Amino acid sequence: MSLTEAAFLLLAFVAILTAVASLLARELVHTILWIAVFFVDLAMVYFLLDAPFLGVLQLGVYAGAVTVLLLFGIMVTRKRIFSREAATGLGPVPVALALLTFVFVVTAVGELPTGEVSPRTYPPAALSAALFSGYGAWVLLLGIIMLTSVSGAIYLVREGRG
Amino acid sequence: MSGLSEVGLLALSGALLAVGLFGILTRRNFILILVAIEIAMNAAILNFVYFAAYAPTTTSGLSGQAIAVVLVGFAATEVAVGLAIVLALNRAKGTINVAEATELRL
Repeated sequence: MSLTEAAFLLLAFVAILTAVASLLARELVHTILWIAVFFVDLAMVYFLLDAPFLGVLQLGVYAGAVTVLLLFGIMVTRKRIFSREAATGLGPVPVALALLTFVFVVTAVGELPTGEVSPRTYPPAALSAALFSGYGAWVLLLGIIMLTSVSGAIYLVREGRG
Repeated sequence: MSGLSEVGLLALSGALLAVGLFGILTRRNFILILVAIEIAMNAAILNFVYFAAYAPTTTSGLSGQAIAVVLVGFAATEVAVGLAIVLALNRAKGTINVAEATELRL
């Protein structure tokens, strides 16, 4: 087993562990701490996949912004930050559905074309150039959607609505 | 990145999708549901990055990574709107338990 493969196995194990732990944590703040570890862990997977641009984006947007946004959401909706969640049962149907989804996705692996394909790497400069030339319309669309949704969010939270 | 197994990466993304689905179905707290949605979104983004690495041409691979970049932006936007709904729900009902939000209007 190569060093890369061992590192990937470790990262995958930590990713699934932290994802489950974040959903099962009894205190909401612990959920956010677990999910922060999860985001950083996935950024490491991107670096391992030779996608450094996405790795940095994951660290900045997810581990940075989304984590703080979620913490802020807890802060303004809770009277005490460390207040416990009421225990909710797992239930057989959701667990079965989740397992079924996993089995369905993994069986699709057999449909992949096999053959010796060496993985491609993309330098961040090439990706940046592509984002602002060939995919410029997408970036513009992203900007417009962000602007629209931020306007919607401000409308939702403003005082004296309705 | 030599030696990374295809099956392992797809199994990781499938497992994360399953965990996210499980969270969306079982949790009652709105913020926990948002976290579960983020986990499922990350599984999708991971798939795009993985298939970009094994794309037949450089152009198609770059489009995979470009989609992943745009998706990260969408996910951040979605959290912002989700938290706005959380705040509105909290102000209207005094709780963020989705089981108690039984009416469409706030």
